Amino acid sequence: MAVLDKLVNWSRVKSPWVFHMNCGGCNACDIEVIAALMPRYDIERFGMLLVGSPRHADVMIGTGTVTRQIAPRFKRLYEQMPEPKFVMAVGNCAISGGVFAGCYNVLKGLDKVVPVDIYVPGCPPKPEAIIDGVAKLLAKLQGG
Amino acid sequence: MSTVKIPIGPQHPALKEPINVTIEVEGEQVVDGKVRIGYNHRGIEKACELRTYVRDIYLLERVCGICSHSHTTTFTQGVEELLDEDVPRRGLYIRTIVCELERLHSHMLWFGVAGHEIGFDTLLHYSWRDRELILDLLEMISGNRVNYAMNTIGGVRRDISKDMIPTLKKGMDTFRERCEYYLKLCSEEPTVLERTQGVGVLPTHMARKLGAVGPTVRASGVDMDCRKDDPCAAYDEVPFEVCTWDSCDVFARVAVRILEMIQSCNMIQWMLDHLPKDEIRLKLKRRVPEGEVLSRYEAPRGELIHYIKSNGTDTPERVKVRTPTLANWPSVEYMLKGCYIADVPIIVASIDPCISCTDRITFVDVEKEKTWMWDSNQLRRYGIEFYKKKRW
Amino acid sequence: MSRKRPKLKPSLKEDEKLKAELEKAFGETVKVWIPRAKRMFIKVKPGDHRKVIQWMRDNWDLQHVTSVTGVDKGDTFEIVYNLYKYQGYRTYPNVKTEIPKKDPKIETIVDILPSADFYEREVHDLLGIVFENHPNLERLILPDDWPEGVYPLRKDWLPEGVE
Repeated sequence: MAVLDKLVNWSRVKSPWVFHMNCGGCNACDIEVIAALMPRYDIERFGMLLVGSPRHADVMIGTGTVTRQIAPRFKRLYEQMPEPKFVMAVGNCAISGGVFAGCYNVLKGLDKVVPVDIYVPGCPPKPEAIIDGVAKLLAKLQGG
Repeated sequence: MSTVKIPIGPQHPALKEPINVTIEVEGEQVVDGKVRIGYNHRGIEKACELRTYVRDIYLLERVCGICSHSHTTTFTQGVEELLDEDVPRRGLYIRTIVCELERLHSHMLWFGVAGHEIGFDTLLHYSWRDRELILDLLEMISGNRVNYAMNTIGGVRRDISKDMIPTLKKGMDTFRERCEYYLKLCSEEPTVLERTQGVGVLPTHMARKLGAVGPTVRASGVDMDCRKDDPCAAYDEVPFEVCTWDSCDVFARVAVRILEMIQSCNMIQWMLDHLPKDEIRLKLKRRVPEGEVLSRYEAPRGELIHYIKSNGTDTPERVKVRTPTLANWPSVEYMLKGCYIADVPIIVASIDPCISCTDRITFVDVEKEKTWMWDSNQLRRYGIEFYKKKRW
Repeated sequence: MSRKRPKLKPSLKEDEKLKAELEKAFGETVKVWIPRAKRMFIKVKPGDHRKVIQWMRDNWDLQHVTSVTGVDKGDTFEIVYNLYKYQGYRTYPNVKTEIPKKDPKIETIVDILPSADFYEREVHDLLGIVFENHPNLERLILPDDWPEGVYPLRKDWLPEGVE
């Protein structure tokens, strides 16, 4: 069974399936996430695939300001993901509320809703920073 | 035939933004559509009243990541009008150059998204690769790909140096060639024509009555463009034409945007040739005298207005932001009537919804008392399959 | 070196002509002023705004509502209708009216200009102003579980944690 575990972990590390959810921000982080898939950076050649449903995903990327309406929906999507699951918070707004901290309707960060594994700061972070964040997450996965 | 309402879940087609639209269907045809927005509401107008003008520039830039420069342009020119000061000409030209570059990147982004909606993913990859060229130019001028922070009250913060100009001009030549290729592609490729011609028709009189703005209304033959009607920045000196198209459907919106991109390339080259030798900013006082101003600008999606009311201090009394997408939603509700379910994604995407300005679309099932959720990906795939079957 | 743009551009004459037309039709009930070319502000009493807007629609073929803005002025609410005259000389008239805060009611203009629909709903949502006879005055942008009777844009309401 140890061999099977190792195999599963290897495939998860080599080809993580990613689900992206916009929590209600200004979209700058979303376009940088999608730009990471486009021919200039092309993370798909590393095996990373963007999937349409949380049930197929290993990693969930949350971008944008977490508004009060989105928070319960985000939590529901997080619960739909199969174990083991990881969450990446991309952008200043997902980390701490960013520029909008102090506004009504805005929660101060994604970690108020779900546990977050990797924080990628920036407003917005460049695609290189997002790829670096994913690489660090994979290294963490490989570690154990 | 019984009517059925379908909910479409909280994921916008390509940008995965939360949208909620309720659609009533009879068989394959849509009978009615209603929009529920508010999932992106962050309370920005309230926050503007609690911060100073300079901090507000930073805040308003992040209303929308795609049209960030539009918001700061509109805000700073409004405050400059309240202070009754004029920005030096070089500052205005640089502001306008970045405005047009933003229009280019925004339209190209939309073009890729529209291609993704109709199943033409190759177009998505090609157009976003071309968009990277514009982002490189913007990074060269301002230091960032998104959220350029070029505007300040009194002018712009960075200058365009002499060695940047040849790179910019060469970039415009390349980009213009690509746009002409896309125009030729869209007018000849049968799959594109089938999914866009005759779809989402918004007749001219309805476009005017429902208050549509931007490329949506220009695609219905109405030549409404703030850059000509109420010129701000350097638009009263730069020669350009307002692009309209008469067929009032989704294809018209594609054509208008590509033609606008070609116009913008020409405008940027003209401005680079005629860049005045001047200062780029004025140092202005922080306390703004009492008054009110209506500042308007043609953002890539349409007319953007900021209504600013000042009270003699360094914080505004009221800042009202009316984004173009909000003005276009009633037109979407009109266009959804009588179309096929398969056309819903491209119709919604054709007004170029910037969901940070509005949001959410859900379909609700009414008659059969059955509700089923489709996320945007399912709806998009349904549309592609529907048209594939139709062809056979 | 700044370049001051002259306020008296040629088109200010056109604005003055429109101002004269309005004053001829409504006399003392309207107060019109033109701060710069292509901006006209018209102050009316709360009941008269419908008449003025209807007149503009019939005589100037004005169909486009750019926005409806509500401002909290302490004891009163000021409502500004930002309009756009597209036919002929293109300009931006703004109709302003004030209503008391204790009784924030005003008649809707949706039957005259349908494009005002969403904007009136937004003002209702954020400031609590009731637009009488509006066909569908429901929530537009605040979340469904937002408490009733709490209007974020009023000056006396502050978000938590802000002094």
